[in-house]
Amino acid sequence: MGRGADSDSDPDVEDDDYYGASAKASTSAAARRAPLTSTAGNSQAQKASKAIARERRNYHIHRLYVRQEHKECLAVIEEVLGEFGGLCEYPIYVRALIKRHEGKIAESLTLFQAATALNPHNVANLKQVGRSLYLLGRHRAAIDVYDEAQNAVGADDWEIWHNKGLCYMYLKQFDESVECFKGANDIQRHDTTYAQMGKVYALQEKYNEAVDVYLEALEFSPENPEVLTTIGLLYLRMGESFRAFDYLGNSLTHDPRDPKAILAAGSIIQDNQDVDVALIKYRVAATQTPNSAQLWNNIGMCFFGKRRYIAAIACLKRALYLDPFEWIIAYNLGLVHLNTGQAASAFHFFSSSINLKPDFPSAYMYLAVTLAKLDDHDNACAAYEKAIEMDPGDHLFHLNYALTLYVAGEKERCVERLEVFEGLWKGLDDETKNVDDEVPKMRGLVRKALGMSDVFGGGERSAVL
Amino acid sequence: MHHLNATRDYDACIDLCTKMLEKNPYDQQAWTRALTAKNWIDETEMEEEGVAEIMMDENATAQVARPGTSFARPNTSASRAGGGVATGLSSFNQGMRPMTRAGAPMTGFARPATAARPSTGSSRDTIETAFRGSGRPGTSRPVSSAARLTRLGTATQLSEPGGPFIDVDKLDLRKYAQKDALARALIEYIMHHDRNPKKAVELASLATVNANFKDWWWKERLGVAYYQLGMYRDAEKQFKSSLKDQPMIKTVLQLAKVYIRIDQPAAAMATYVKGAELFPGETSMLLGQARIHDALNDMHLGVPLYKEVLKWDASNVEAIACLAANHFYTDQPEIALRFYRRLLMMGVNNTELWNNLGLCCFYASQYDMTLACFERAIKMADDEEAPDVWFNVGQVAIGIGDLGLAYQALKIAVSVDSTHAESFNNLGVLELRKGNVEAGRANFEKASREAEHAFEPAYNHALLAFKTGEFQEAYERVEKALECYPEHADSVELKKQLKKHFTLL
Repeated sequence: MGRGADSDSDPDVEDDDYYGASAKASTSAAARRAPLTSTAGNSQAQKASKAIARERRNYHIHRLYVRQEHKECLAVIEEVLGEFGGLCEYPIYVRALIKRHEGKIAESLTLFQAATALNPHNVANLKQVGRSLYLLGRHRAAIDVYDEAQNAVGADDWEIWHNKGLCYMYLKQFDESVECFKGANDIQRHDTTYAQMGKVYALQEKYNEAVDVYLEALEFSPENPEVLTTIGLLYLRMGESFRAFDYLGNSLTHDPRDPKAILAAGSIIQDNQDVDVALIKYRVAATQTPNSAQLWNNIGMCFFGKRRYIAAIACLKRALYLDPFEWIIAYNLGLVHLNTGQAASAFHFFSSSINLKPDFPSAYMYLAVTLAKLDDHDNACAAYEKAIEMDPGDHLFHLNYALTLYVAGEKERCVERLEVFEGLWKGLDDETKNVDDEVPKMRGLVRKALGMSDVFGGGERSAVL
Repeated sequence: MHHLNATRDYDACIDLCTKMLEKNPYDQQAWTRALTAKNWIDETEMEEEGVAEIMMDENATAQVARPGTSFARPNTSASRAGGGVATGLSSFNQGMRPMTRAGAPMTGFARPATAARPSTGSSRDTIETAFRGSGRPGTSRPVSSAARLTRLGTATQLSEPGGPFIDVDKLDLRKYAQKDALARALIEYIMHHDRNPKKAVELASLATVNANFKDWWWKERLGVAYYQLGMYRDAEKQFKSSLKDQPMIKTVLQLAKVYIRIDQPAAAMATYVKGAELFPGETSMLLGQARIHDALNDMHLGVPLYKEVLKWDASNVEAIACLAANHFYTDQPEIALRFYRRLLMMGVNNTELWNNLGLCCFYASQYDMTLACFERAIKMADDEEAPDVWFNVGQVAIGIGDLGLAYQALKIAVSVDSTHAESFNNLGVLELRKGNVEAGRANFEKASREAEHAFEPAYNHALLAFKTGEFQEAYERVEKALECYPEHADSVELKKQLKKHFTLL
């Protein structure tokens, strides 16, 4: 009797593929299941037929799972599990996968663990346990499981490397992470691995390396719009807008409705003063992401470029309503208000922009221009000083400062600033000089005014552009 | 006595009558309407639904109503389901316009029975939601059946010396039904003072029989009594028959109210439209239509109706407030400001108005007025309104980039009301910006527990969980967010990424 109770619980770990491995347990199981026959050969045959019976419906389960007919699949699994007392590896495995599809990771983890308990030698189970742990955010535990899997499998498996890399990435151990991804790529190359590696580099702000990785990925799969978009965005971040545009344009030919690519491409088009084309692009994006603050910001600036100030303010305000933390929207609103001559409103927007992002020197300059318009000369000067202190190399700061000083009648300091400006101006290349034709005009005006002192009025406004 | 009644000095009138009756207990003249009038409530307004009515709604015909045919599913307006384009410009867009606590779209005017009904979603049929009530904690207790009626009734009985004035149970209603004029006064007394709809039904049906089923007034009374007993279909029958005899504004409103109660917005709408044809210039018909549009999320359809109302009645508070709110949420704070100023000039002076004025001033870039308005609002606010005002102060502070002030204002808001979900959500965002991930997470957790109708905390939480690699958590949250706002582009994108993670082997 005692023996019988033992054998009831004992052979649970055994599975049909590996029945030879734990000889003692399996014989006892056979003894229990076939108590009338005692010859070894007979029990062996029975077991084989049992094993076949157990796997008989696996093909069916697999087919249903691949067809994503999850409901029927679960029903079949239920049946099979009921038939064999829950001791079948594959149905449990598939059930766990379906649970994961439904977003129930914790349940799927227990199922995978059950499958591993049934068959500890199957690496697929171990990998899935690791994956579940990773999805649950328990990265350290996941790495341990993957290590175990790596020892078990002997040969290299890119998936294990890749997933380990992911875990390291979330643990912020970037060097290990990159190592793992490289290991994965050495075995077999995959888009996802490249994408993740690029992401790790981008997280560390090593954009050049990131671009290299993505370019390599592009060689491998040249028509992946996501990779193209990402490269475009990285180039944009590095300030190489022409190359960025190439890639973004490519990406848009493959997927013309991707809002991210549209937004990025639109911003480049906009930078090149082709406002109408940009607006058309944004129209496509607006139907998909009507609540995107960035999109409304760009649309607002398009209208600003077309000198339709009311529309611009409306769009920018909507953007600010949607995302009050975005400093650049406040900054843009300040610009538009400054242009429409509403200096008090402009001041508020510049100051909130500076509150949100205190390390953007241009905002200080515009704040200074605004303050000068509001006749607050001392604070205007302070703001200029602050801007220049943060970035002494920007010629516009000095020119505008000179203008303000001139208007306030401080000619000596004005000349001083103008000289600094001249020095910087000479150092610029022609392309930068031609970006804004107001600057040389203004320069001429101030020089003339300083020489002849009379013909001058309302200077700052145009320099602001 | 008549004079006192006409000048609405009901208490003095009641005293006088009592004296007269003491002298001559059978003086039928003194059966005055004063007691009735003192306890009068407007029957044409909706009342809050009780817990039992929400939980055991026997009038519901379908568990999941078709889009645009039920008040319980405001997120499925017919026009949106048909068009499929949520551009946010014409129809309702949750990203732009907040929801009330119960998940109905925010209108410009707080009406009875628009706030209580829980919206769709997993939470709908749970006891907790029903018991939560519509107000803030400490002020809200779940509404029991016919709460307003019974509670007011008990209060008067308590204060009445010498027991109830008329013991209806002992009256021979058959006798009184013969005397038409007296019966009319009596039924008003039964309905408004005694709150005894059962007796009212008895008296009214006797009186109707007496009038050969020809008197619209008795039919209407009978309908109201049926309505109070919860027999909506019978009430409908009576109102319809009463309208056939004599169309009256009051009856039309009552009929529409029946339809609203049994959750048939289309029928209610048809009733109002017919009523508006019969009584042109009757603003309550127009307002009724507009309210239904609002409750079904078709805000843009309500706007012309409100304008029409203002044509007839230029100082209709509800219409002005709704138009103002509508302008505010469609990026025209300047125009909203003018509507609110009009309200101010009409003598409305309360926290909500000053609060709205402050917000409009802020978004219309009139900064000098903003804080002054909020100061007034805070001065007048009680515990129920203060958190909302402080929340808005926080919002304004974020707008001008003063995050310290924003943090403090939001903290005050949650200190007054520990369930103010919006404040918790924004506090969470501020904490995240400071780098306090755990504090942020706790705030989102709290916010989404308190406000199951809002997608923001759920989405914020999901995003946070996704960034820290807890995909299970993220998935659950994003599901919740999408349940509240199925078109939210960021949530859809996040879910797509999560799915990708899950299906990847």
